[in-house]
Amino acid sequence: MSDLLPQDQRAAFRAKAAAIDHPHELIVDALRAVQSHHGWVPDAGVALVAELLGVLAVEVEEVATFYDKIFRRPVGKKVIHVCDSICCWAGGGEAIAAHLQQTLGIGFGETTSDGMFTLLPTCCLGACGDAPAMMVGLTTHGRLTPESIDRILAQYRAEAAG
Amino acid sequence: MPTLTIDNREITVPEGTNVLEAARALDIVIPHFCYHEALGAVGACRLCAMRITDGKVSGIQMACMVRAKDGMIVSTLDPDAVELRRHVIEWLMTNHPHDCPVCDEGGECQLQEMTIAGGHGNRRYTGKKRTYANQDLGPYIAHEMNRCIACYRCVRTYRDYCGGTDFGVFGSRDRVYFGRVRDGQLESPFAGNLVDVCPTGVFTDKTFRFKSRAWDLQEAPSICPHCSLGCAVVPGARFRELQRIRAGISPEVNGFFICDRGRFAKGSTNDPARPRQPRIDGTPAAMDTAIETLRTRLAAVVARYGPQSVALLGSPHASLEAAVLLRDWAQSLGTTRLVYTAHAEQDRAARITGARLERHARSLNDIRGSDLVVMVGADPLAEGPLLALAARQAVRGGGQVAVIAPQPVELPCRASQLILPTEQLDAALHCLAGGAATTLDATARQQLEALREQLAGAQRPVLVGSSARLGGRGVNTLFDTAEALTTPERTIGVMMLLQGPNSYGGAMLAGRGPNFDMLLDGIEDGRIRALVCLESDPIGESRDPARTQELLGRLDLLAALDARPTATVARAAIFLPTRTGIEADGSYVSNEGRLQAFARVMEPGVPLRDTSPAGHPPREFFTETPGSEPWPAWRVFARLLGRSEDLAVLRREIADLDPRFAPLAGIRPEAPGSRLTTTPGLPHYQLDREARE
Ligand code: SF4
Ligand code: SF4
Ligand code: FES
Ligand code: FES
Repeated sequence: MSDLLPQDQRAAFRAKAAAIDHPHELIVDALRAVQSHHGWVPDAGVALVAELLGVLAVEVEEVATFYDKIFRRPVGKKVIHVCDSICCWAGGGEAIAAHLQQTLGIGFGETTSDGMFTLLPTCCLGACGDAPAMMVGLTTHGRLTPESIDRILAQYRAEAAG
Repeated sequence: MPTLTIDNREITVPEGTNVLEAARALDIVIPHFCYHEALGAVGACRLCAMRITDGKVSGIQMACMVRAKDGMIVSTLDPDAVELRRHVIEWLMTNHPHDCPVCDEGGECQLQEMTIAGGHGNRRYTGKKRTYANQDLGPYIAHEMNRCIACYRCVRTYRDYCGGTDFGVFGSRDRVYFGRVRDGQLESPFAGNLVDVCPTGVFTDKTFRFKSRAWDLQEAPSICPHCSLGCAVVPGARFRELQRIRAGISPEVNGFFICDRGRFAKGSTNDPARPRQPRIDGTPAAMDTAIETLRTRLAAVVARYGPQSVALLGSPHASLEAAVLLRDWAQSLGTTRLVYTAHAEQDRAARITGARLERHARSLNDIRGSDLVVMVGADPLAEGPLLALAARQAVRGGGQVAVIAPQPVELPCRASQLILPTEQLDAALHCLAGGAATTLDATARQQLEALREQLAGAQRPVLVGSSARLGGRGVNTLFDTAEALTTPERTIGVMMLLQGPNSYGGAMLAGRGPNFDMLLDGIEDGRIRALVCLESDPIGESRDPARTQELLGRLDLLAALDARPTATVARAAIFLPTRTGIEADGSYVSNEGRLQAFARVMEPGVPLRDTSPAGHPPREFFTETPGSEPWPAWRVFARLLGRSEDLAVLRREIADLDPRFAPLAGIRPEAPGSRLTTTPGLPHYQLDREARE
């Protein structure tokens, strides 16, 4: 439980929630704080957010499960969201997705055995002008080709190793 | 009041009505799922398409999301609208498991009806279906998420209307999930309403699971017997078993919903321990013989000790018809020793309520529309759960709830809580009325004065009390307070939670008679030699069970009529089995003085599953149904009185003889009841004094 969120952040959320009329506004922020600290949001994280903000656990879970960028299961160090919406599809998104699956050796919803990457489909990333696109962690990469993907993945692996 | 044209017919509707409701007023049903009268419109299911052919906005619109406007021309038969509805149904059905043959909703399923109405008869979708894992939601409600069409009615009912906190909607897109964070029993005391509101088979009654098809049930409009509020219910029976209960619709009382006690507590109807056989001195007898024995033995007591040696005890649970005939029987015997509850204090409180409610009477619907509800000593979730639900609607509508009680009172809504010991509730009421209330501490006084201000400013205020907590004195003070704060502009409303479904009717009949404690004194000093108990268990229900038990042993004759296996029934020399409200027609007067009838759902008899537990029909044959001996209590008295045993005739006679019960003459169980005019203002002190004499 202690590694979910540092004490100072807990105190900060408690104070903020007490000061505003609608503490529900803070649910996303609090979930993201737990996620960036712990990697993903376990059941105890949902309970913690509810307790910090003084809202119902069910209300936190509703938000947590609505957004596909809140992870309610363990994920790899980096999560790859590859876009499957219309512009990316028109720009060869299916081939990009296939290439990712092949190089990583995993299907959608799976994590590489070294725990480095989790692959997920996503709807439009707002990078349609740079289609096809994907997001790794919080960084968006556009105009993807199989070559650029290999390069990007190698870079992340190197960063993680180094 | 806009006037619009729907399918070439004109209709004028109140401002704010949506097109779906306007069409329904013309008996045109536009297919829909997410709209529900009690929950309103949210435009979630996209099914209720229609075309506006003329007016400011035109084109295909969702009927539930468009307000009726003057001059609007609407077509629900427009080919595009019809086609859109067909497609919507088809995609709502893509993931449906097509498991109607094993679904309890089948036969009363809005999804089945709308699928047919929408013209979707053939599945074209051949892809994989999305499936869900179901949750264990406890012993009462089954969960089958694959049948969901995402209309959101459940979560709107559970969370918004009922104030539940452990149910919600998870996920997004075509994989939204309605349930709890984790498996476990639903916590809301109104959870059972999920069964009624879900238009598909996601939430079904687990206690009813796989027992019957809806069309095989015997159903009839009825009144819940489990508290004094008188909610409308529709019990369903089959094979001589009460199998399920669903909510009835009664706009002035429960609206569309009931509590879980009303839905899942099936009372004595199916109870295997229920006494069904008349008995004389422990020996089984025929009903006729038992009644005649009661008559002759009572006559012997009267001959020896005089008519006043006979005492009659009615019940808050017996029907009004039985209660009236009990009074008539008392008169014919020549005794005035007639009481309608074994609890003397509750009796006093109920009689004062009957005498003083008058213009203060408020319905649950009035509570829902109140701007200030003040609860004094009442615990609605325990004593009348729908009152708690009504209070929540008052808060949702911008009203406020204030609680004054000996311990914090749990409610499904925001409420201020002032904690005062029971002995100080009376003083608190005085203080609300403007009295000095010197016995209260300063903070309490301050809060009460603030509340008094609030009451003074409220437009539709209601004081809520409880006969159990306040007793006669407190109830009286509560009415004093209501009088004191009433102004020519507006009356302070009162709702008093009473003991049982016909406490009010009993109080009207008890009038100036004695209370049960006086009867006990009479037994003690030998003036009373015989006691007849109508669906009442004085040993279990009086203020002093030990004393009661001891004194009942001294009687020359104890007789009991009941459907329950009570301690009093066990001791009675003459026992007459009676029918429950499921097995007989009758009526109750609810705590607001509303007379409501219930209809017989089935004939009495031992449920088939008990007579033939192996599932095979019985191999022995009788001409009589096993366990069918019980009579409606009113019929027993009609026999004793030599009156008609036809309820319609009896009701007319009662209405003729006692104008207070005039509405009984034409009463119909499917119609909303009518509020009776109360016993005209018999001051409480007079009630008390006369009762003591
Ligand atoms: S569970 Fe029933 S009520 Fe709830 S959204 Fe699904 S179909 Fe509608
Ligand atoms: S509130 Fe009372 S009358 Fe209504 S359903 Fe519940 S127990 Fe029955
Ligand atoms: S469609 Fe892929 S980023 Fe917009
Ligand atoms: S009933 Fe109108 S959109 Fe569902």
